[in-house]
Amino acid sequence: MTALTCTLLASFTTPMRIDTNAASMLWLIPLVVAIAVVYKATKVHQIRARAFAKETALLIGSIMVFVTVAALILYGVAWLVTEQLPAMAGGSAF
Amino acid sequence: MPRTWKDNHALFLIVIGLLAWIVPGGGHFALNQRRRAIVILVTVVLTFLVGLYAGSIGVIDPVNAKPWYVAQLMNSPAVFFLGQISASGQFPVFGRAGEIGQIYTSIAGLLNLLCIVNAIYTAHLEGLKGARA
Repeated sequence: MTALTCTLLASFTTPMRIDTNAASMLWLIPLVVAIAVVYKATKVHQIRARAFAKETALLIGSIMVFVTVAALILYGVAWLVTEQLPAMAGGSAF
Repeated sequence: MPRTWKDNHALFLIVIGLLAWIVPGGGHFALNQRRRAIVILVTVVLTFLVGLYAGSIGVIDPVNAKPWYVAQLMNSPAVFFLGQISASGQFPVFGRAGEIGQIYTSIAGLLNLLCIVNAIYTAHLEGLKGARA
């Protein structure tokens, strides 16, 4: 077995190092692409490269916008509950 | 009595479903939808492999993560054998990488389930068309 094959197989036996920061949210993007591609592949009547790419890109965009809006709303709610409400009540939430 | 296995509608649908499960896109390939089959194969396999690469083979955990394992099994029966290997517990899985790996491999499985259902439905429609013709 060559060194390259060994390295390749070994990379599947140990997890990657992924921090729990905001940048790790970017892992969402490939997943959204995969979901959009497979969904559109089952929906379109015939797969033609340009039309398929266009429809998939539109779906990816829609999902990304919706996820961003949902994240902003949730962030706002969390900020209200953990920062603003305790300040109004005169104490910490924790 | 049915003349060919395609004439036996239920058997035809089962075979298409099994093909779609064994190899992602296999059902559509059998229905002569080659492009669709290739798109499905590449996307599902790539998503599954990215999940395994991120979280290690240990994300397939038939012992401690059964609901995730059920979704992962939808990728292919080959996942069952990977589960047997990882059940020994010698492959570490932890933290955000483990979560991402689990999500990727499970979503890949659920996407393939969508394709299996779609392939069976398409085969059913083709069968109806054939019966009318």
